[in-house]
Amino acid sequence: MKKNKKNQEAVTAASSIAISKQERRELNRREWKKCLKRDWQLYVLLIFPIICVILFKFAAYPGMRMIFMDYKPALGYDRSKWVGFETILKVFKDADFFRALKNSIIFNFLDLLISFPMPIVLALMLNELRFPKYKKVTQTLLYLPHFLSWVIVASISYVFFKPSTGLVNVLLMDWGVISEGIPFLTEKWHWAVTYLLMGVWQGMGWGTIIYLAAITSINGELYEAATVDGANRWQKMWHITLPGIKGTTITLLIMQLGRIMGSNFERLDSFGNVNVKDFQYQLAIYIYEKGLSGGNYSRATVVSLFQSLVGMILVIAADKFAKLIGEDGLI
Amino acid sequence: MKKTFKRVAALALAAIMAVGALSGCNKGGGSNGKISEKPTKVEAGWGMESWKKFDEQVHITVPVYDRSKEGYPSVADNYWTKWVQSEFGDKWNIKVEYVAIPRGDVMNAYNLLISSDDTPTIMMEYDYPKVAQWASDGAMQTIDLVEFAKIAPTYYQKMIDNNQLGYTDISGGTYFVLSERPYYDTTYTFVNFVRMDWLRKVGYDHVPTSYAEYTDALTKIVEAGLTDQPIGISLPTQAYAQNFSFRDYPVNEEEWAMHSSLGTASLTWEPTYQMLKRQNAEYNKGWISTEYDLDTDETQKKADFVNGKTFMYGGYMAANVDWLTSFYENNPGAELAVASNYWVVEKGVVDYPQMRSDNPFGMIVGFSSLATEDQLKAAWMLMEWMIQADNLYVLENGIKDVTYTLDDQGLPVVNADYRGEEMLNHNCNIDMTCLVHASKVTGTIEQSIAAIAPQGLPQDFTQAMIDNYYELKKIATEGHSYSDPIFSVTIEAESEYTATLLSLYKEYSVKLTKCKPDEFDKLYGEFKEAYLKAGYQQIIDERLQAYKDGNSTKLPVQK
Repeated sequence: MKKNKKNQEAVTAASSIAISKQERRELNRREWKKCLKRDWQLYVLLIFPIICVILFKFAAYPGMRMIFMDYKPALGYDRSKWVGFETILKVFKDADFFRALKNSIIFNFLDLLISFPMPIVLALMLNELRFPKYKKVTQTLLYLPHFLSWVIVASISYVFFKPSTGLVNVLLMDWGVISEGIPFLTEKWHWAVTYLLMGVWQGMGWGTIIYLAAITSINGELYEAATVDGANRWQKMWHITLPGIKGTTITLLIMQLGRIMGSNFERLDSFGNVNVKDFQYQLAIYIYEKGLSGGNYSRATVVSLFQSLVGMILVIAADKFAKLIGEDGLI
Repeated sequence: MKKTFKRVAALALAAIMAVGALSGCNKGGGSNGKISEKPTKVEAGWGMESWKKFDEQVHITVPVYDRSKEGYPSVADNYWTKWVQSEFGDKWNIKVEYVAIPRGDVMNAYNLLISSDDTPTIMMEYDYPKVAQWASDGAMQTIDLVEFAKIAPTYYQKMIDNNQLGYTDISGGTYFVLSERPYYDTTYTFVNFVRMDWLRKVGYDHVPTSYAEYTDALTKIVEAGLTDQPIGISLPTQAYAQNFSFRDYPVNEEEWAMHSSLGTASLTWEPTYQMLKRQNAEYNKGWISTEYDLDTDETQKKADFVNGKTFMYGGYMAANVDWLTSFYENNPGAELAVASNYWVVEKGVVDYPQMRSDNPFGMIVGFSSLATEDQLKAAWMLMEWMIQADNLYVLENGIKDVTYTLDDQGLPVVNADYRGEEMLNHNCNIDMTCLVHASKVTGTIEQSIAAIAPQGLPQDFTQAMIDNYYELKKIATEGHSYSDPIFSVTIEAESEYTATLLSLYKEYSVKLTKCKPDEFDKLYGEFKEAYLKAGYQQIIDERLQAYKDGNSTKLPVQK
């Protein structure tokens, strides 16, 4: 008797859950329809970017099977030879790959360390400027290098920093500051510093845009209250502005971490020369030399896929960590 | 929701794997090459008279080098490409489309075309390893030389006359036909010039004819304050190590088969050691710019000569040589002379002025594996049409009294300054006519040289260039000019390691040039070992094996 009653209760409970699920689904559908009707223009606008993402990010996925092939463009996927894990093993047994990997990680980490905080510092400084015209001119001048390609940036660097005919060395020698040219670009340690600093110069102005936008969204009353409480500008910056842009900073940091395995061929190739091969040899150069230029697309794909996978893992890990410490995270 | 996602993901993965597996089942693998019969003569009735106009238009694509030269029209669409279409294409219902190939990035350009199924109908290159790679990768199709000879008998006859039939096969298939390279054993179109005015100032009335004279002249030139860095060199961008002069004579044939190549620099070979050692000595005398390794495209090297900073510079000759024109503009009153080919000779180190002869052919021409029978036929028709003397004459000289005039002997003199619509592209349209020959020929060798002697300069070099040709001819006759081996099998290790080795060669050669002389041998030993490990050992092993198996050309008899 008791058993029957229990069964009846269970059936009733299940049916009530089923009904509520159905209702929920119905509600969702109505909600969705309502949203679509209200914001249809926005959804139409979204179609093109979604198509682009599908085309350029996902449609190429089947092509990745070339990592298991000795892919030859002339033979295509149909006739290229299947080699199993041979290409992958070849890459992971190659000492040059690990040299490139080590250099990439070190340089990207240094890049992150130097280049990441610079836009924040600069944004804070720009935010403190009070003369609007001066502020605008400064901002424009700071943004400009971003619009120069790496080839141009590297050419400018060589004009300035060549060991004996570079403008900087010529001036320093003329002024008697040095007796022989500083090898800014022809000795690997000097090159590393020049390379990283030119990266900062090129990117920091542009990087300030997001932080400046985040700063403008901070409630002005907080500054007023702090002024009433007698806080100076430094204290306001430290206790209001910086915490105010913390979320943006963490989001951007997570995104940057995804690029720690990345490698910019254009930048490395334009800045590189035979004297600095020890440091210049990073994954992009490896992919070009041992992959693309020899027509070995399978190897290039293996390394690129490896870069992407590690980047993705880093982003997920950083996101989890951010959430663990109470931040919003990215995903 | 999670379950649905898992199902979708599993299905997607399965689909990808299935596509892959099915594609795998489809693989054909390799080429189905076959060796063609090779007629020893052409028959009457073959050729243009047997051609018929195509019923439906046939579209062929033809590569043309793009050298990005300022002031020249587009290589793929200009007056002369249109002329080919109107004079040849329209007549036979063939659409001839030219495809620009950047001269400095040939392999990548072709790879892109191949991977997008846009392989040009005609595929051609001067370097054998490149075309061998295309054939081995399946980008080219095997051809029947009997059919080729029937459609293009003039072209084929030239191949017979130039003993080129031995170069048409690779890896068990007949893939190539070859264009002509006139006077291939003398590199007469490339001429080195020296500063004769400087030589006169330091007491020379002739150009240096030995390395001792050369170094003596340079020492005096520097001491006289005429320049401080008289030697202009740039970063080696090609794998070609110019070590011919430093080789033993006669050269060991096995070593030659292993190391002599345009594809991979022979860093570990003794002649390259000798060459780099000499360069190191010159660098340590302060004769070479400390920044030469930053000059990756010879721009600085050329600019230094043009601006009167260096002693010697050379280049290919044509009616209009821009750097010679600029040189005289920048150095009014300067005097140049054609350098002797003997300036490298130093007893015990360089006993003979040995040099690399060109291959006995110009372009190695193959055909896309995607080309249909009609396209193949149309491409062969274009080649046969272009090799006809009257067509070639117009393509290389242009229009009388517009792009050229006739001299006293009735020979065409191209107006290099003409910039109208009908202007000829680089070096008298050579990148179009290279399909049939590697350089313009106008009558005798003297007349041919006169046709490419630079015009409009304060000095006339025609006679000096003719003398230079005969000096080169003497060197060749003495057996000191020979080319690299050509393999009839693909050297697989080359495609695997060439790019890495080129990069290493650039790095090592610069370090060896710039190091202190007493550090040279130690450094060379280290680099030699690293270079062998980086893939060079595999390449020379494969080459040696191919040589031993009889799959390579042999050295000409050396006296």
